[in-house]
Amino acid sequence: MPPTDASPPPAANIAESGSARPFEIRRVRTRFLGLTLDECIQGFFGGNAFVAVIILALITVFLFREGFKFFPLNQDNLRIYRAAGLEYVQHLRGLDESHLALNRYLQDVRLRGLQAMQVEGVPAAEIKARLAPFDAWTNAFGDAIDPVRGLAGEMGDLSVAAKEAYQQNEDYKVARDQFLAAGKTAEAQAIEIKEVDFAANAAVLRGLLPAAREAAAGASAVIEAQLAALPVFPVAELQPRLARFAELGREYLATYPAALAGMEAWKYDQPVSGLEAFQAFIFGRQWTTASFWQDWYGIVPLFTGSLLISLIALVIAVPFGVGAAIYVNQISTPREQRLIKPTIEFISAIPSVVLGFFGIAILGETLRRLSGWEGLSWLPGFPYAERLNALTAGCLLALIAVPTIFTLAEDAINNVPRAFKEASFALGATKLQTTLRIIIPAALSGIISAVLLGLGRVIGETMVVLLCAGNRIAIPDFGLGLSVVTQPVHTMTGIIAQEMGEVVRGSIHYRALFCVGIVLFLIALVINFLAQKIVRRYKVSVG
Amino acid sequence: MDSTATASVPRSRPLATPPASSAGAERGATLIDIKDLDFYYGAKQALFDINLQIPDKRVTAFIGPSGCGKSTLLRCLNRMNDLIDGTSVKRGAIKIRNVDIYGRDVDPIELRKRVGMVFQKSNPFPKSIYENITYGLRIQGVKNKTRLDEVVEKSLRGAALWDEVKDRLHESGLGLSGGQQQRLCIARTIAVEPEVILMDEPCSALDPIATAKVEELIHELKKQFTIIIVTHSMQQAARCSDQTAFFYMGKLIEFDATHNIFMNPKNPQTEAYVSGRFG
Repeated sequence: MPPTDASPPPAANIAESGSARPFEIRRVRTRFLGLTLDECIQGFFGGNAFVAVIILALITVFLFREGFKFFPLNQDNLRIYRAAGLEYVQHLRGLDESHLALNRYLQDVRLRGLQAMQVEGVPAAEIKARLAPFDAWTNAFGDAIDPVRGLAGEMGDLSVAAKEAYQQNEDYKVARDQFLAAGKTAEAQAIEIKEVDFAANAAVLRGLLPAAREAAAGASAVIEAQLAALPVFPVAELQPRLARFAELGREYLATYPAALAGMEAWKYDQPVSGLEAFQAFIFGRQWTTASFWQDWYGIVPLFTGSLLISLIALVIAVPFGVGAAIYVNQISTPREQRLIKPTIEFISAIPSVVLGFFGIAILGETLRRLSGWEGLSWLPGFPYAERLNALTAGCLLALIAVPTIFTLAEDAINNVPRAFKEASFALGATKLQTTLRIIIPAALSGIISAVLLGLGRVIGETMVVLLCAGNRIAIPDFGLGLSVVTQPVHTMTGIIAQEMGEVVRGSIHYRALFCVGIVLFLIALVINFLAQKIVRRYKVSVG
Repeated sequence: MDSTATASVPRSRPLATPPASSAGAERGATLIDIKDLDFYYGAKQALFDINLQIPDKRVTAFIGPSGCGKSTLLRCLNRMNDLIDGTSVKRGAIKIRNVDIYGRDVDPIELRKRVGMVFQKSNPFPKSIYENITYGLRIQGVKNKTRLDEVVEKSLRGAALWDEVKDRLHESGLGLSGGQQQRLCIARTIAVEPEVILMDEPCSALDPIATAKVEELIHELKKQFTIIIVTHSMQQAARCSDQTAFFYMGKLIEFDATHNIFMNPKNPQTEAYVSGRFG
C-alpha cells in the first residue's frame, strides 16, 4: 500500500512545523504606482466603460449644441423672407404656380387625346384640325395669367435684390469683424456697409398692390370666361376630364381673394417668433436648399419618406422574421435549425452598400419589369416607371431588418419556460395549438420589442435608402392609397449623408442637417426605450 | 410481487391479463398494465424490464432515490417522453384498458386528454384563472360559454380552490400563491376529465400547509380518478397512497400495498430505503 506509506510523513511534518510557524495572514501584494494588480485591472475595465459613457455624452452634447443653433438662424431666415417682401410676393407667385399646374393638366388631357386618335388611325393633319379649337382655348387660358406673372416677376426681383443686399452686408460685417479682430483697422474701415432700407423697399412693394389687384382681377375675369366656355374635346371619353378641369379651375379662382388678403395683411417688420422658426422645421412641408428665391428646411417630406420606407420594410420583414423564428424554434428539425439560423444571421453581415448596389443593379429593375407584367397589375401602384422608389428601398431594408427581428424574436420564444409547453401538451394540445395559444402569447412582448428594434435598425439605415429610394424630396402623396409605395422619396438619413459633405460649416443648412440628426437620435431613443420597457414587462409577466 | 428484476425474463411467463371489461371497470381492477418495459434515452437505458399493474381509482406512489427512473416511468404513461429527442421504448408495452399506448395507430394527443399530468413546479399559463381552466376544453373546440363556466366551477371545486378564487377568476393565475397555483394546475387537469392523473412530485416546492391541502385533495380525487404520484417524501407516500412501487437504478424492486412496503418490506433494498439507510 504505497499511498498510505507515503502520506503519514508529510502530515507529521505539517503538524510539527505548524506549531512553530507564525500565524501570517496579513495582506501581501505587489504594487505598481501604489495600486495592486487587482486594482489596476479593475481600473482598466472601469476606465473603458467610463470612456464609453463619456463619449456618448459628448456626442449627444455636440449634436444638440450644433443642432439647436439652427433655430435662431432659421428665425433670421424667416425674418428676412418677410422683411424683404418675399412672403408678400409669394402670394402672387403662388397664383402663377397653381395656374401652371392647371396648364399641365390640360397638356396631359391633350396628350391622351392625341394618343387615342393615333391609335384610331386618324391622319396627323386631321388630328391637328380636330384639336385646333381645344388648342386655341388652352392658349387663351394659358395667356390669362400673364399680367400676374409679369408683376410677380417684377416684384420678386425687388424683394430678392433686397434680400441679397442684406446677405451681402452680413458677409461684409463678418469680414470686417475678422479684420478688426486681426487688428487691421484700415482694411476694416475700407469695408463700406450700406444698411438695407427694408421700410423703403416695403413701401415700393406696397405701392404695387393696386396693380396686383388689377392684374389678379383681369386674370380671374379671363379665366372665369374661359371656364364658362369649355370647348368640346375631339375624343368624347376625355370630356369628363374637362368637366373635372372646370371644377379645379373654379377651386383655383376661389384662392384669389385669400391671396390678395394675404398681401394686404403683410407687415414687413412683424417679428418672427422662435416658435414659428421651430414649427417651420417640424411641420415644414418643403426642404429646398440653395434656391434663388427662399430656402426652406421642413423635415416633413424627409420624415414621411423615412416612415414610408420603414413601414414597407416592416410589413415585409415582420412576417418573415417572426415566422422564421417560430419555425426554427418550434417546428424545424435540429438539422434545419443548424442551416437556417446562421444563414439568416449572416444577412446582417452583408455591408449595406452592397445591398444598395444590388438594389440599383438588379432589384429595382426587376421589380419595375415585374410591375409591368399584366398578371400583377392589380397590385397597388403597378405598373410604375421609376426604378428607384420607396418599394425598392423598403424591400432591401426588410432584408436588413429580418436578422434583427428573427434573432430577438427567436430569443423571446426560446425564453418562454418549457413548463408552459409541457403543461399544454399534457392537456392534450397539439404542437400547433401550443405554439399559437401558449408560446406566442407568452413571447408576444418580446416579439413586439424585437419588431421595434428592427424598426430602429431600419430607420437608422442610410446607404440603402440613399442608393435606392429615388431621392426625390417631396411628401409622398398618401392620397393615392397604397400605390404611394412606388413613389420615389428621400429620407432623413439619406439627406444627411448626401448634403453634409457639401454644406458650409456653421451655415444654416449645416445646422438644419444637425437638427435632422437630432430627430433621428430622438426616434432611436424612443424606440429603444419602448423596447426595453416592453421586454421588462414581459419578464415580470412570466414571473 | 416480482422483485427480482433480472435482465432476462422468460417471454413465456404467464401474462397476468386484467379483466377485459373496459368502461365500467370495478374499483381496484387493473387499469394500467406495464409489461417487460425497457426504455432508453438515446443509447442510455433508463428503465429495465418493468412489470407493474396499476389498479383503477386508487392512489399509487412511485418512490426511490433520485435518478431511479420513477419520473421516467411516469412520463411514459402519457408519452410526455416523446417530446425529448432520442427517447424510445425498445421492448415491452404499456396497456391502458388493454390498449397499447405505444401502438402504431395511437395518437399521443388523444392519450394525453385521457391521462393528465401535474408537474413538480406549478406551471399555470400566463393567463387568467378562468382561461387556465378552460384551455384544455377550448383546444378541443368547446366554445359554449355556459358549459365553460360550469366546468370552471366544477373543476375549481374539485380542486378545493373555488372559495379562494371565485371572485377573481379573470385575474392572472400567476398572482396566486404557490400552493394555490399547484391546485389550479390540478383543476386545469381535471377540467378535461381524464381517467388517470399523473403527479410528478406535486408538493416538492410547497410548504407543509399547502402540501397538506394537496394531499387532502388527492384523497378526494381518488374517488373519481386513478392517481399515480411520484414523490421523494416517504411520509407522503405513506400518508396518501394505497400501494407503493419502489424503484432503484431503473428497476422496479418491490410493488405492494403501501402498508406492506413500509411495515413489512420483502426486499432488503426496500427495507434499507424506507428505513432511511440510503437514498
